[in-house]
Amino acid sequence: MMQLRALSIDDLAQVMDLERRLFQNEAWLEQTMAAEITSAQTHYVGAFDGSLLGYAGLKVSGPSYSSDIQTIGVEPQSQGRGIGRTLMNELLAVAKRQGSEEVFLEVKAGNQSAIALYLSLGFEQIDVRKRYYQPSGEDALVMRMPISQPVVLGIESTCDETGVGIVRGNRLLANALHSSMDEHAKYGGVVPEVAARAHLEAISPTLDAALAEAGIGYQDIDAIAVANGPGLSGALMVGIGAAKGLAVALDKPLYAVNHLVGHVGVDVLERGAVEVPTIALLVSGGHTSLLLVRDLLNDTQLLGETIDDAAGEAFDKVARVLGLPYPGGPQIDKIAAEGDPRAIRFPRGLTLPKDLEKHKYNFSFSGLKTAVARHVEKLEDAGQEYSKPDVAASFREAVIDVLLTKSIWACEEFGVERLLLGGGVVANARLRQEAERRCQEAGIELRIPRFSLCTDNGAMIAALGSQLIMDGREPSGLDFGAESTLPVTTVQTA
Amino acid sequence: MLISIDTSAGTSAAIFNGEKLLSSVFFDDPFGHAENIAGAITEVLSQANVAANELENIAVGIGPAPYTGLRVGIAAAKALAGPLDVSLHGVMVLDAIAFSRAENRLLVTTDAKRGELFAAGYLGGKREFGPRVIDPASTAEFPEYEHVSEPADAEKVGRYAVWALENDIDLSEIGAIYLRSPDVTPSPGKRVSG
Repeated sequence: MMQLRALSIDDLAQVMDLERRLFQNEAWLEQTMAAEITSAQTHYVGAFDGSLLGYAGLKVSGPSYSSDIQTIGVEPQSQGRGIGRTLMNELLAVAKRQGSEEVFLEVKAGNQSAIALYLSLGFEQIDVRKRYYQPSGEDALVMRMPISQPVVLGIESTCDETGVGIVRGNRLLANALHSSMDEHAKYGGVVPEVAARAHLEAISPTLDAALAEAGIGYQDIDAIAVANGPGLSGALMVGIGAAKGLAVALDKPLYAVNHLVGHVGVDVLERGAVEVPTIALLVSGGHTSLLLVRDLLNDTQLLGETIDDAAGEAFDKVARVLGLPYPGGPQIDKIAAEGDPRAIRFPRGLTLPKDLEKHKYNFSFSGLKTAVARHVEKLEDAGQEYSKPDVAASFREAVIDVLLTKSIWACEEFGVERLLLGGGVVANARLRQEAERRCQEAGIELRIPRFSLCTDNGAMIAALGSQLIMDGREPSGLDFGAESTLPVTTVQTA
Repeated sequence: MLISIDTSAGTSAAIFNGEKLLSSVFFDDPFGHAENIAGAITEVLSQANVAANELENIAVGIGPAPYTGLRVGIAAAKALAGPLDVSLHGVMVLDAIAFSRAENRLLVTTDAKRGELFAAGYLGGKREFGPRVIDPASTAEFPEYEHVSEPADAEKVGRYAVWALENDIDLSEIGAIYLRSPDVTPSPGKRVSG
């Protein structure tokens, strides 16, 4: 019974033995093969029947939305048994799943059986490279196979942004947004009923705007995705109602996806591929969550979250204490630029040794907000002049310090050298600056998607739906509802 | 061919060919609007043996009604109307309930939650007043009216829409009828120290 599995460095000796027998003086060097098998950009698979019967490798280039077949080899006495085809199909599935829109390969011009296999899989010859193979001097044919990726329309309505995004595979086609933020300003925070009313008003114009931006019509849509949680129930239900109406009208599959996982997955639209493992810090007016993502669709773990206010909410509340308008984040950022972040030592919630056992990765900002209010009230009651910029800068520093300290702890504890930021608070210039400094110091790669993809948006919902489709997932049923507390482990609601 | 959708009480959909009702589906769960809306629409189309692209008109109940559920039906109707490229018509649900009745003078009320009623008065098929929010006790101020208190559904909404469209009655308003402001008041912010 033949088995297919991913190759690891432990297979190197077997692979090199077969490589040398197959390609003799054109065989790759062992260190080349080792680098190929272990690279994060490649996928090497082997066919085994006790011993290695064949192997093949694919290299995915996210930014160019393409993949290359790097090599393929089958044990001489096992050729003609379909092993090459099985290996190729596996790699083509990986290429599709990774968002590639085309796959390239080179083949010896005289290798008729391989060329026949590639033609039957859908490859076409696009070029000839003269005397490509050395030392034989044989020509290479360059072949290309297009992969059609799904066009997915995603709807986001978990909080105060009505978002409609359109993607093709991992490629962003449109990201239309309507925000009701201004309507919440007089209340000093998001009012669920105000948000839900605004979604209903905005949904049709936002759908139209997204289609216009993508330059496509409804008939071009292959699937619909919608965020069904976590979020505000009444707001979610508008998006769900609209998504279901579209799915029925178009007779297309519908995917109910997790808003928070969407924030993590959105980086595919920047890079063309998902890069994992990563720690993800999602900070907005509604969430403060620290995630460990080993596999976007299969293995996301909530390490911690806020036990009271979200970080963005703390900014709003402190802005109000300082007499600044809503939303507080940009206001505090602005005046803090003139202040001294070390002027006042505000508390760092849940960072004391006694907190670490239960709350190492949880956050608390309500005590911080109270400390700021107390500080300001005391000075005001005493009729003392005080520096608002100093208070703002010191408060901001406390929030950022806790967010980043815990994120870096997580990277270190779980051996993950990548940190992704998402959520509206990422707009905070000081947070980005400090994240860059600390990540560089700790040797961690920092990922911050462009701001329009960091805040709530429909493109991230479409992108996650697209990932599910490329991975071959079944659509959701038509009877799912709004899940205001949807756990991050539920990527898709069935 | 017209599909009517209503989520002002339960979740329902109906298909009309002219004045003829072809099919009707009703889920009475007062909280399952998001869950049931697609089922109601696909089921009513399949029962009538009508494809979505055969529809020419969509009528939707626009309230007044409890908001959260009401919006689901309107959102779905708006989203259906886009790709199908058909006209969307809004029906004030108390008008639809009144239209289903034969009485000359009617006070139609529905549950507005929080111990209040949505109400409208009708004379000879024409709305005299409303819709408005009233106290249940104040229905006593309308002794000369027949009092009708029953929920709307897609059948009533559809029947009324078919008649209204034939009689050139304007149904172009498709926004939800709320009759109440979102109940929040701007907070002045409070002191934390005593």
